Amino acid sequence: MIDLIPSLPSTTAALDAESTRLQIISQNIANANTTHNVDGRPYQRQQVVFESVLQHAQGKDGSSTTLAVPQVSRIEKDTRPGTAAYQPGHPDADANGMVQFPNVNIYEEMADMIVASRTYDANVAAFKNGRSIAMQALSIGKHG
Amino acid sequence: MNTLSSIQALGAGLPTPLANKAEPQASTVSIPAAELRELNATTSAGSCGGASETSFSNLLGNLVEGVNAKQAAASQALAGLQSGQNVPLHQTMIAVEEANLSFQLMVEVRNRLLESYQELMRMQV
Repeated sequence: MIDLIPSLPSTTAALDAESTRLQIISQNIANANTTHNVDGRPYQRQQVVFESVLQHAQGKDGSSTTLAVPQVSRIEKDTRPGTAAYQPGHPDADANGMVQFPNVNIYEEMADMIVASRTYDANVAAFKNGRSIAMQALSIGKHG
Repeated sequence: MNTLSSIQALGAGLPTPLANKAEPQASTVSIPAAELRELNATTSAGSCGGASETSFSNLLGNLVEGVNAKQAAASQALAGLQSGQNVPLHQTMIAVEEANLSFQLMVEVRNRLLESYQELMRMQV
């Protein structure tokens, strides 16, 4: 079936990638105070890395156009050290009463979240624009 | 999809008057678009040589089948979303929008077809 909405593959892929990013940022914020992860250590901040893959679209006359489509290539752990706080009564405190907290900086996460959310908005706007172009093209045939 | 198949049947009944109508139209207007020439060639071949496999009714049938496939994809995405499978919301909405647009395209094509048919029926002999 023909492509009615222009640039649909890249917009869909970008929406997928940005929603994964938002998910990871939410996970970071949710675990900002997790001192005991599944491996017994404090939670480590995660970040998504995007890459663009080339997608070939075959034209009707045999020509092929190449679209650069974004996708999440990997989700990496941030290796920066976390903060430590003196809480001797804490179950995860070491011999000196220090508790290691995750390396999640809530301000950084909020800034990242705003960027990811605005990028998602921009892609939704691009999709809406493509849809309205298609609607305009369809209205060529309408009378009155 | 009873409505879709009825439109498809309508299209299958139409090709001969349409092919007759399309030929003089294309020669007088003479639009150099490759698509028009291709369509004209396939319709005239269909009217001369009987049931060619790329006749206009086949083109229309493919269109209806494509629209049907988009509708099926949209309803599958909706069902996946509602049954808690890992289908993102935006993919569902995009599938629904695509189905909506292609359905509107098909309705426009059907309107044009019916219009030309009615014009032919009103023609004085």
